[in-house]
Amino acid sequence: FRFKDSLAEELQSADLVISHAGAGSCLETLEKGKPLIVVINDKLMDNHQLELAKQLHRDGCVLYCTCSTLVETLQSMDLSALKPFPPGQPEKFASFLDKVLGLQ
Amino acid sequence: TGGHTTEILRLLSCLSESYSPRHYVLADSDKMSEAKIRSFEQKRAETFSKSQFSLDRIPRSREVRQSWISSVLTTLYSILYSLPLTYKRKPDLILCNGPGTCVPVCLSAFLLGLLRVKRTIIVYVESICRVETLSLSGKILYYFSDYFIVQWPELKKKYPKSVYLGRIV
Repeated sequence: FRFKDSLAEELQSADLVISHAGAGSCLETLEKGKPLIVVINDKLMDNHQLELAKQLHRDGCVLYCTCSTLVETLQSMDLSALKPFPPGQPEKFASFLDKVLGLQ
Repeated sequence: TGGHTTEILRLLSCLSESYSPRHYVLADSDKMSEAKIRSFEQKRAETFSKSQFSLDRIPRSREVRQSWISSVLTTLYSILYSLPLTYKRKPDLILCNGPGTCVPVCLSAFLLGLLRVKRTIIVYVESICRVETLSLSGKILYYFSDYFIVQWPELKKKYPKSVYLGRIV
């Protein structure tokens, strides 16, 4: 398919996700607890999209490769070494705002 | 737009009903965000029956990779367009997270503050995608916001006046 409003169903039933480095794709996948391989476009090296993918890789939450190394990565990957991705905490934001606005 | 809308709705998810009524401002070219917002507000109304919100649209201030000179002109036009909207709503608080749309809205509010028409608190939350560098909106609004929130420690180091609360979306 070309465009769908939500990939939630597909994500839920997947065992492994291979995706580009878009933040939405990465975060949605990691939040569902699915193993993720991020494929980066090495012709767009200064793309800021890479920042999040690189950080997630540093934290051990995703595997990382380029189009040319994808096959190799799939052959040698160890998905059990991937670390879980802790969820964000919007409650901290709410507390902070309440505090600075004097709304406690 | 897309990712920004999802993030900001997550930020709103834990706010109490003191943060009401909510006025959403979207770019006129944004087709997907309205549905997400309506869905969010509908769910919210299930818990808080008196919940109120509105939607306004403004011209998009800048296309991706638009040239510098034309960006300044389109942003100025968007600021002028936003002024009557901001004046009408006179928000106590503006919450934004980086799409080009937020710059003219915040700057118009800042201007109304300087003119002593309405003092609005401007809170900017940089997107979770920004780990090492700020977006262009962030670079501008760092100087105009009351609270500038970043979600990764490296940005806190580079921008000491920012607030770091960890990952909040």
